[in-house]
Amino acid sequence: MARKEKPVFTPPPQELRRKAVNFKKGFGLKLMPDEQRRLEEVVEKATDAFTKDVAERLRRLRAALDDVASGNDRADLAMRAIRSLSLDIKGMGGMFKYPLLTAFAKSLNDFTKDMGLPGPRQLDIIAAQIDALYVVMARRITGDGGPTERELLAALKQATARYKRS
Amino acid sequence: MSDENVADHERIDFSKISFLVVEPNKLMGQMVRDVLMMLDAQYIDRARNFETAVGILRLGRIDVVITEWALSDDHTGHTGMDIVHWIRNDPASPNRMMPIVMMTANSEEEYVCRARDCGVSEFVAKPYTVNGFYTRLAAAIARPRQFVRVGEYFGPDRRRRRLPDYEGPERRAPTEAWSLTG
Repeated sequence: MARKEKPVFTPPPQELRRKAVNFKKGFGLKLMPDEQRRLEEVVEKATDAFTKDVAERLRRLRAALDDVASGNDRADLAMRAIRSLSLDIKGMGGMFKYPLLTAFAKSLNDFTKDMGLPGPRQLDIIAAQIDALYVVMARRITGDGGPTERELLAALKQATARYKRS
Repeated sequence: MSDENVADHERIDFSKISFLVVEPNKLMGQMVRDVLMMLDAQYIDRARNFETAVGILRLGRIDVVITEWALSDDHTGHTGMDIVHWIRNDPASPNRMMPIVMMTANSEEEYVCRARDCGVSEFVAKPYTVNGFYTRLAAAIARPRQFVRVGEYFGPDRRRRRLPDYEGPERRAPTEAWSLTG
């Protein structure tokens, strides 16, 4: 049996604590409600910038999809762009009260994550997911959306599960 | 005063802390910066890729790193994990025990485990709430964990719970070698 290496422990570093933690000035380890509200306002103020940012990313997603569909020499790069853009949108949507955007972007990112160049069916599914992202933003669907959106998400999940490896 | 009461009264003076935010997404980087400024942070440096981040870190002024995993602007293929690895293991690192908060939309358990095994202090899944972000940032600063070297791993102790009555076998095992390509 291989001999287990003994772990070597170092006490928690205290330099930063000594420098910044005190009993008089600053923020507690848990935010007070008014502090939390002020921080949330920072996010809310960025909502317009967020919608512009996502609109631009969606435009780039469509352009990337066109490159992949045309099978030109930028197709590999375009697939990378689809993965990267969908990951960005996944990470942003929920912060700005668009969890459905996050859900569709996650679906697209999961679908394309380990994919080479997609076939025709897979291209259709990628296009449908990008369309769904557009719809969420165009209709400003905050929250989880209604029954139609939930059905669409469920249908996309089924389709992605079926065609991911085909 | 009990330990709990002390913790209730502790405060973090963010104006004393220098931050490096590594985020290729301009909007998200700006958001972290704005939140830190609201907390009264005075020194916030920003980078969008590995090379710039390491260049800033080498200057030795940074206290806390907040990094994204996916550095899409980094054409060398480096990720935020490479920054964590550099801080924890490179001889040129100015502070190998620096608090590192990783924020990423790669939020699945597999990524959380990989980040933990690379040596991040705290992990924040995107999309996040400001309260969730703050809680982890405050923990990284005010509640540093002991560090451990075992096998190829050097970083915060990955065991967060203490079980005083635990009498079973030591489960700690050397980690597998961490590869730069992640």
